[in-house]
Amino acid sequence: MEKRNKFTIKMQKKLVVLFGLVLLAFAGLSARLILINKDNGEQYKKQVLSQQQYSSTTIPYKRGEILDSKGTKLAASEKVYDLVLDVKAMNNKEDYVEPTIQALSDYFDVDTGKVREYVQEHPDSQYYVLKKRMSYDEISDYQAMMADENQKETSQYIKGIWFDESYKRVYPNDSLASDVIGFTRTDGTGTYGLEEYYDSVLSGVNGRTYGYMDSDENLQRTTEPAVDGYNIYSTIDATIQGIVEKYLKKYNDENKNVAREGNGAQDISAIVMDVDSGEVLAMASYPFFNLNDTRDTSALIGSRLIDVSGNTTTTVINEEIAASLEEKDKNDLLVQNLNALWKNYCINSTYEPGSTMKPFVAAMGLEDGRLKGNESFECTGIVEIGGYKIRCHNYSTSGAEGWLTIDQAIERSCNIALIKMAQVIGNDEFLKYMEEFNFGLKTNIDLAGEARTASLVFNSNTLGPTELATSSFGQGFNVTMIQMITGFCSLINGGYYYEPHMVSKITASDGSVVENIEPRLLKQTVSAETSAKIRDYCVQVVEGENGTGKRARPAGYRIGGKTGTAETVSAQGTREKDEYVVSFLGYAPADDPQIAIYVVLNRPNARNQDLETRKACIIAKNILTEVLPYLNIFMTEPLTEEEEKELEEMQIDIRQQLSAGVSGNDVSGNEAGTGTGAETGTGTGDPDSGEAAGGDAAAGQEGEQTQESNPYVNADGELVDPDTGEKITEDTPGYDLPVSGLLNGSDAGEAGARDEPPSGLSFTP
Amino acid sequence: MAQRRFRRKTEHYFDYSLLFIILFMTGFGLVMIYSASAYDAALQMDNETYYLTHQAFAAVLGIVGMFVVSRIPYHFWEHFAVLGYGVSMLLILLVLTPLGIEANGARRWLNLGISVQPAEIAKLAMILFLSSMICKMGRNVRTGKGFWIILAMAMPHCLLVWRVTDNMSSAIIIFGIAFLMLFVATPDYKRFMLLGALAAVGGGLRIYVIARAATAEDSGFRVARILAWLDPEAYASGRGFQTLQALYAIGSGGIFGKGLGQSIQKLSYLPEQQNDMIFAIICEELGLFGGIAVILIFVLLIWRLMVIANNAADLFGALLVVGVMGHIAIQVILNIAVVTNTIPNTGISLPFISYGGSSVMFLLLEMGLVMSVARGIRLKDV
Repeated sequence: MEKRNKFTIKMQKKLVVLFGLVLLAFAGLSARLILINKDNGEQYKKQVLSQQQYSSTTIPYKRGEILDSKGTKLAASEKVYDLVLDVKAMNNKEDYVEPTIQALSDYFDVDTGKVREYVQEHPDSQYYVLKKRMSYDEISDYQAMMADENQKETSQYIKGIWFDESYKRVYPNDSLASDVIGFTRTDGTGTYGLEEYYDSVLSGVNGRTYGYMDSDENLQRTTEPAVDGYNIYSTIDATIQGIVEKYLKKYNDENKNVAREGNGAQDISAIVMDVDSGEVLAMASYPFFNLNDTRDTSALIGSRLIDVSGNTTTTVINEEIAASLEEKDKNDLLVQNLNALWKNYCINSTYEPGSTMKPFVAAMGLEDGRLKGNESFECTGIVEIGGYKIRCHNYSTSGAEGWLTIDQAIERSCNIALIKMAQVIGNDEFLKYMEEFNFGLKTNIDLAGEARTASLVFNSNTLGPTELATSSFGQGFNVTMIQMITGFCSLINGGYYYEPHMVSKITASDGSVVENIEPRLLKQTVSAETSAKIRDYCVQVVEGENGTGKRARPAGYRIGGKTGTAETVSAQGTREKDEYVVSFLGYAPADDPQIAIYVVLNRPNARNQDLETRKACIIAKNILTEVLPYLNIFMTEPLTEEEEKELEEMQIDIRQQLSAGVSGNDVSGNEAGTGTGAETGTGTGDPDSGEAAGGDAAAGQEGEQTQESNPYVNADGELVDPDTGEKITEDTPGYDLPVSGLLNGSDAGEAGARDEPPSGLSFTP
Repeated sequence: MAQRRFRRKTEHYFDYSLLFIILFMTGFGLVMIYSASAYDAALQMDNETYYLTHQAFAAVLGIVGMFVVSRIPYHFWEHFAVLGYGVSMLLILLVLTPLGIEANGARRWLNLGISVQPAEIAKLAMILFLSSMICKMGRNVRTGKGFWIILAMAMPHCLLVWRVTDNMSSAIIIFGIAFLMLFVATPDYKRFMLLGALAAVGGGLRIYVIARAATAEDSGFRVARILAWLDPEAYASGRGFQTLQALYAIGSGGIFGKGLGQSIQKLSYLPEQQNDMIFAIICEELGLFGGIAVILIFVLLIWRLMVIANNAADLFGALLVVGVMGHIAIQVILNIAVVTNTIPNTGISLPFISYGGSSVMFLLLEMGLVMSVARGIRLKDV
């Protein structure tokens, strides 16, 4: 028994043999290891490196914002999310599949049938994009659920859902300043307007995460953060822009389909500029378009159709044509028409300015010394120059006007007198001053696509006596709107020609200022004395008995200006006797010029287009009536009863919108805006204190009430008790009648703002 | 007094070098599992220490069990030899009941509070049972009949493990353990050589036939594995992928490797990187030097086992140790052979180092048995 249970020597020996065999096997395997390294080591090393994916993930940069001068966002970039399914991760465990597909259906409304089909066919796919460009709101429910500890039971089985981030350009005010802002293409580059001109400033640098081999052939991962683009602050004031657009649109609404089918005019444009800096405060050109939906063909309705080669036809785009443009084979045609829509008439288009040129001509003579200011010129009604008979436009109605002083000539816009002045000035001087006023040259405004006019003005070879004569009243050569208003500013501000500009400040994404763009004084065009005289002439145009621009005067203010009614040239090169560009170019206030305004109606929709100049004046007047108080420019003139009444109506209108604007600002917490709101209140209240202190008590009260009403309405538009800050409901005793009235008023204001999207008042007061 | 104290000291032999080797291997295994699995675990489980913590838990449990078992005289277990044999067989069958857990396409685990692989229990049960049987058979084991009886006793487990849990490698290991224990217990060589030669010729013939005739598509996965073994690069994206990636890992490691934690292949290229293929990651990170050092440690371990077996107080103890030694030797050799594409790919883990809770736990229990045997050694006999 003892012996049998012993581990015998023989067994011990066999065990040693076994150990030897094991050693042998180990030796063999070690040899194999060494051989693998020796024979294939280098090859395998390369193999390992080559199958590495150095795949880098791009981290998108955020394009800079475009803000107005008060900080209101005109263009911003919002993060958007693509919904991506990693099928392989989901298939990792059977338990994941159903909860994941269920979550896709519950939270993202994804068609589960399609997902299942895809999963069936591509079980190893790791990048299946289910939905593109979702907003944060659309994914926040899902994110919250995944983060919720209480829902861990279900959420732990949801695997493989993730989001690819990118940015989407949004324009909070849709069509406001559409021509100025421009937009971005799908690849994120800017096109048209500020977006194109400042593309490199607004663009940042994409960051990325990538793997690489360091010198020891170790895989390293590095993340380079994205550099966000710079923000730009435009000189545009969204409120003024809103006012301008409101009246341009109003003109269109009142005049469309009057004489012919289509818009109130082919182009209805206006610029408001700060006289002493060249800063553009507003610039608009109707038809507008929605920056958030730039290819919406309904914006084309009412415009003339442009054919494939880019020529304007007489066909007017109606709903049917607009819809047909969306057909696939009409893409070229659509692009032509959209391009025309996206263009900014104020800088991209040229036209003959007409009589608005006359103050420039007078300034040439005065500056040159060949005119003293006290000369008289005889209007004979008709002159013959170089074989052409040129008539005064007044000739048919009032005949020859006889002897006119310079200011009378400009007041009545007499062509013959101006021709005679131009003849006194002479060809060389005329051309010299044309260049001085920058005609034929770009103004270098910071917007994309400013038109070149170098070949559209006369030079010493082309300027004959007839050309000089027509030039004196603004026919025969072409200008852009921005050239005209910029030159005009220098005429009336004492002769200082500032480079027109749209951007005043560039800031980095952290708010630090990268660059302040100061007004750039380029030259002195005329002397202060000449400038003073031109101001007088321009005031005469508005105030004089025979002035052509009387309708442009806003109640309570003195302004100056000049009207223009220009014949146009057809595509065939013939002069159109029934197609006109009518305009008003003015400044305010008369004695202390602050802003200049230029309204141009290209081929107004009227039976007698040449009579539409007064409508341009009225647009200018309406804009000034709202803008001047907004800019804290006080009324200086007495109001007639009629004006008072009219103003009262308008101001009630304004005040209601202002209150809406103020509450809107409370929501956004825009400090600068709130401050301005209060100031505007004072501004609009001023006519009462200035003149009709006693007589206009009602309007004053109205104003005060509006001011007071704010404490009753909190940020959410709910009624609150101004003392306690508590919410007031219908049940709250003592607040039944007066307060509900206030709320209605504020509601009406907001509703009004909504009805008219371009109204700037709903954005900033 | 002095003499008694001295005697007491010498009464219980404790193999500290064995303990050190075991603890070192387990610790090294944890380090390598963390290194190999962290990337994948972070990706798949949102927790880069997922595998590490699971393995550490099993290892701690196993070490505690090892010390407990080492304190129990090993003859105590002899009473349970037959019981263990039967129960382990039952456990394998239990996999078919709802208690079974399916993972990675195979049903090999049992849910007994913690998940356990019955095949691991079967290995331990087989060592215990065969040791007891050989002791009982005494001289009869030397006869041809005895030889076949012992092999036949191993067969039910092998077949069950192979067929029921579809785990051929564990079946081979169980059979190998029986084969090696028998080899040590009988003085004969001829039968073993004959059997070995037969197996070699059979295997070679099968491989030859497969290599000549088969295309990978229409045959089973074992055939495909053999084809991939013969030419891994021809099946680089299919069956040969894992093997090839393992070779890349080994080959790119060089002599001293890329450094601990610097493996590239573990970044989603090499499947089962913390499991069957962990040796490839060791070679990639620690180089030839590390790989061969690991082999040397196993040699050291097996040498210690041999010494303990040769000095065991009785046959039963010695056979227990031989069984454990056979188990470890077979698994290490097969694992490294698979990783280096020396034999066709089959799933065998590297003892103490590969990820696998039941594996490391039962290995440590086996080590407890070995220590228990070592405690029985009378020092004067050494």
